[in-house]
Amino acid sequence: MSLRALFARLFSRRNRRSDVDIHDEFSAHLEMAAAELRAQGMSAEAAEREARLRFGGLTQQQEAYRVQSRPPLIDSVVADLRYAARQLRRNPGFATVAIVTLALGIGATTAIYSLVQAVLLRSLPYGHAEQLVYLYTPIAHIDQPVEVFTPSDADAFDIRRLNHSFSSMALFGQETDNLSTSQSVQRVGSATVDGNFFSTLEAAPALGRVINAVDNRPGHQHVAVISHSLWHSLFADRPDVLDRFITLNGSAYHIVGVMPREFQYPTNNDLPYGNSGVGTTNVWIPLALTPQQAADRDNDSLNTIARLKPGVSREVALSEMSAIMRRLDTLHSAELRGWGAAIRSLPETTIGNARPLLWLLLGAVCAVLLVACGNAANLLLARAAARSHEFGVRATLGAGRLRVMRQLLTESLLLGGIAGVAGIILAWFFLRLLLHLDPGDIPRLQEASLDLWVLLFAAALVVVTCLLFGTLPAISTSRIHLIDTLKSGGTRGTVSGQNRGRSLLIAGQVGLVVLLLAGAGLLIRSYTKLMSVKTGFAPSTVTFNVALDARYGTTQQRLSFFRGLLEKLAGIPGVRASGAVNFLPLSNSGSMTFLWVDGYRDNNKDQLVEDDRVTQQYFSTMDTPLFAGRFFADADRAGSPPVVIVNQSFAKQYFPGQSALGHRLRTGGHPNSPWETIVGVVGDVRGTRLEDTPAPQLYSPLWQGDAAGAFVATRSSLPPEMLVASIRAALRAVDPTIAAANIQTMGQAIAVSTSRRRFQTTLLSLFAGIALLLAVVGLYGVLAYSVRQRVPEIGVRIALGASRARVISMVVRQGLRLVLIGLALGLAAAFLLVRFLAGALYGVSPYDPWTFAAAPALVLLAALIACSAPAWRAAHIDPIEALRSE
Amino acid sequence: MGEKTELLQGTLDTLMLKTLASMGPLHGYGLARRIEQVSGNTLALNQGTVYPALLRLEQRGWIRSDWGKSENNRRARFYAITPRGRRQLIRATEGWQRIAAIMGRFFEPQQ
Repeated sequence: MSLRALFARLFSRRNRRSDVDIHDEFSAHLEMAAAELRAQGMSAEAAEREARLRFGGLTQQQEAYRVQSRPPLIDSVVADLRYAARQLRRNPGFATVAIVTLALGIGATTAIYSLVQAVLLRSLPYGHAEQLVYLYTPIAHIDQPVEVFTPSDADAFDIRRLNHSFSSMALFGQETDNLSTSQSVQRVGSATVDGNFFSTLEAAPALGRVINAVDNRPGHQHVAVISHSLWHSLFADRPDVLDRFITLNGSAYHIVGVMPREFQYPTNNDLPYGNSGVGTTNVWIPLALTPQQAADRDNDSLNTIARLKPGVSREVALSEMSAIMRRLDTLHSAELRGWGAAIRSLPETTIGNARPLLWLLLGAVCAVLLVACGNAANLLLARAAARSHEFGVRATLGAGRLRVMRQLLTESLLLGGIAGVAGIILAWFFLRLLLHLDPGDIPRLQEASLDLWVLLFAAALVVVTCLLFGTLPAISTSRIHLIDTLKSGGTRGTVSGQNRGRSLLIAGQVGLVVLLLAGAGLLIRSYTKLMSVKTGFAPSTVTFNVALDARYGTTQQRLSFFRGLLEKLAGIPGVRASGAVNFLPLSNSGSMTFLWVDGYRDNNKDQLVEDDRVTQQYFSTMDTPLFAGRFFADADRAGSPPVVIVNQSFAKQYFPGQSALGHRLRTGGHPNSPWETIVGVVGDVRGTRLEDTPAPQLYSPLWQGDAAGAFVATRSSLPPEMLVASIRAALRAVDPTIAAANIQTMGQAIAVSTSRRRFQTTLLSLFAGIALLLAVVGLYGVLAYSVRQRVPEIGVRIALGASRARVISMVVRQGLRLVLIGLALGLAAAFLLVRFLAGALYGVSPYDPWTFAAAPALVLLAALIACSAPAWRAAHIDPIEALRSE
Repeated sequence: MGEKTELLQGTLDTLMLKTLASMGPLHGYGLARRIEQVSGNTLALNQGTVYPALLRLEQRGWIRSDWGKSENNRRARFYAITPRGRRQLIRATEGWQRIAAIMGRFFEPQQ
């Protein structure tokens, strides 16, 4: 048949015939024939009979016609499918186990893949995101991460003026604002942006316009672009929003635009040192730099984002920017020289740190899927052995090997197809569960869905899965020895290579399980170690953040706000202590200052130290212990001698072997600033991440400094909900336009900061558990089948005097041999692969002996349980029964 | 009726094409009757056999079909030869004549 004809048969509607068509055409034929015969003088009845006779077998022709009108192959495929379905129905137990196993694997893999798709593969909601970069100007001799050093405003403007690498560049700041309505006040993430911000991101508004250069001129800056979610929550999606105003920090802003739903830049994942209080950005307002700000060369508070010209690589742009920075460096103040250049990809910054986690999960879930495939293959092999007689007969009747293989693969595909559909349904539930476990710091995780790409992935997965679990059984089963089949009297066929295949499968499965268990074990050990570290603060302390606005113009006003708030809090019945700090532990914020310690030999001018401002009761509120000296007192106020408290690490580093009390130090990097005296030593606090060992840290009295925003901590015997209500009331009483943001206990802060680790650990443990269960089921299946096959042999052994213990040990030995091979494989693989996990571990070596002992031990234990039932059955074979049935 | 001749394998298609080429559009019955008549009623042909064959020819693009009215006003499917069918007929005719000539040479009285 020519290709064209084949296509015509397959695809052209015109070339098919419906049964109605065929019927009409044939009956027309018969009537015409009968009419002609009647005209020749036949009786009606005889004419009809003769017409049928000449037509020749009506049904026969109809069938021939139908066959011709169907695409080729379909017939035999349909027949194969029908037969396969009958086979599955005949063994519902087998089919159920295989389908459930595979569906579990396919469902879990699809669900994890949907995360990968949403987070890593779907492009960011900005035009040509791959061209977007952040610019940094690191100072080489200061030992801090590159991303800490954003360009100063003057440097950024000069780079913009001088470069040829970027098509566009924008400056923006990340802030939080108090957004008040007539009923309430809330804190929203906001960005102050220049006129190039939206065009650099190639982001267009859903409604109205974006912030432009005119808005950034003095006197024009009271306009705002709002997010889709704010439009929804404040204005119920009303189109007349563009005529309205919002009140930010007590000032009215005219709404000029609404961004589309997916645009929330910058989010908490978009900036390396972003404001942790910002989840997504809800308001964009003009940056409106004053000429003095724009000319500032030494302070770096804004972020700089740029778009590479098409065809310009990051390397080329960097070398040009480095050259520009070498020229600009001389313009910086003498004590702060050495400004360099660095460029980081924006998409990489946003999603880069989620990548190892997601690939790890995808790898692990694929291992689970492989174990599931192993089980399905094992089940197929066992069943194929039972059907060897059938295949022997088929071969004897002339079925070719390919024909038998095709039948077997059709059965696999049917199994896989059903499992695939069930798996996609399961994936939907798994995805809901995953989104529920969302650690909150993986960008766009909540956007994961079973979209077209994910469904295509699932379909491909089904095909690959079928080939994986169907091929081995198909090959080994179709290798039929006719002579053997006939020799064995047609009752029991032998299919060679099967037992070896099944043993290999079990060993492979056990290997994968050991690998997964080792990974999960290491993560669990890390997690428990981390959970038992001394944090240096009480988990029950309730904290919240407040940010003051421009109405609080002087230090005096700001400090009296905090004084008033703390007094109100102290007045709440049940509150034991309350205090304020400008940068709370685990809040992803902090400040560093230059340090000079009097009498310390290794002082250098670039020496940096963490430096927080706190009120008198802060340490007792947080339950941070005092080791020497005193806490701050009411007397430590503006005008009184400057005092500081240091942590233990500070004392140990700068005053080893002696008391830190009474020593003096200088901060801020100015040689003329006054000496500050150490009056107390407090315990170390885990500040940035729970994982990081505490660094030297300074505390100075808030009242001797200033703060435009602070975290306020409260310790009480009240239940948290009641306390939160009282806190809000207290804040309202002090200033109703300021919102209490991020109200949480320190315990919740710990939970948030460890949520990704928990997510990872939970999932990997879950995968390891599922894989272990599947492998145990597989091992049990193999042994149970093997015992059933060997009933006569074991019967003979027992008849000849083998003890039950001996039979049991024979079966267990058979099982354990497979497991031991698998253990060896798995441990070898684990040794090779755990180094990829090293970054996720805390306090344990990747080659942690406990884990590497426990994982195989657990598998061995599970294997013994799987062996016990078949062994017990083998030991209780009745030799007489066994021999009689032979 | 006298002794009937079995149709040679593969020749029905050519006979049908030839008939459609010389007679113009025909319905299945008309086609079957015409083949019987031309053969002088000596072919052992079940009339029903033409239908799968017609479908096959149509799938190859050699004929096309449409519903129409028969002479006694019944609804019937009419088949007509296509240009490609005519080309195929020429090829098949040449092939057949070659074979017939070869066969003929074998059965001619030896010189």
